[in-house]
Amino acid sequence: MSDDAELLERIRGGALDDFAEIVQRHQARVFAILHRYERDVQKVEDLAQETFVKAWRGLEQFDRRAPFEHWISKIAVRVALDHLRREKRRQNEIGLPELGEDALDWLHNDDEKSELAGRAAAEILELAMRQLSPADRVVITMQEIEGRNVKEICAVTGASNVAVRVRALRARAKLKQALEKLMKL
Amino acid sequence: MNEQKLKQLFDAARSETAPAPPADFAADVLRAIRQQKPVSPPQAISVFDQLNLLFPKLAWAAVAVIALGIAADYGLAAAGGPDLSDGLSQISTQWLLTPDAF
Repeated sequence: MSDDAELLERIRGGALDDFAEIVQRHQARVFAILHRYERDVQKVEDLAQETFVKAWRGLEQFDRRAPFEHWISKIAVRVALDHLRREKRRQNEIGLPELGEDALDWLHNDDEKSELAGRAAAEILELAMRQLSPADRVVITMQEIEGRNVKEICAVTGASNVAVRVRALRARAKLKQALEKLMKL
Repeated sequence: MNEQKLKQLFDAARSETAPAPPADFAADVLRAIRQQKPVSPPQAISVFDQLNLLFPKLAWAAVAVIALGIAADYGLAAAGGPDLSDGLSQISTQWLLTPDAF
């Protein structure tokens, strides 16, 4: 089986059908990234498609020395950021009705050992993160949920090391405030 | 919310699995790409192409200059002023076409 570089070379030569193989290889990662920022599966699919179309259109700008996986991840995060900015206006309200029973139980339970499922955690974070700016949300998600380091976040967002550190601290504080507000509701 | 609870929240969120891409997702992407307007690099335009593009304008400008000259000649002749054609032929005879002009 050809590696990414070989396939991409063929695609640059006009073999568009080979791009399907590239999509299949990287689609799971792209879906995983986008799902951190959008819960609606249909929207995730649309954003993933937008990501791959952008990658195809920008293929000439891809630095062949770097892994394609890093480049497509970067595009996915930027697509997510644009999406969050578009959605920001209609997501300014914060409330409990959108949370499931498990999430509500966990929020109102003082016992630190109470169980929390992934889905419930994602629901809580989705709601709380609406209080953050799209850029803050991207930084905190990459750092705390995707487990990326500052250098990686800088590479994806194009921000400086100091800017990322400051933004991460600020975003964390804002997120804690939003979560405390949810706990009191 | 204390740090322990926040950490628990992040850990749980990390464990959530993303939705699987549909089986025909790659085909959908290719379809979307084919529907896009093809991106073609800007073509270099040769001097001849540029002249060709400008030709109608240049032709009209030349016609306008000629018409202006004829109108000026007739106008001056009607007003009893110097004849433009005679003046030009006099200049060419005296200055341009004489052997000692150079």
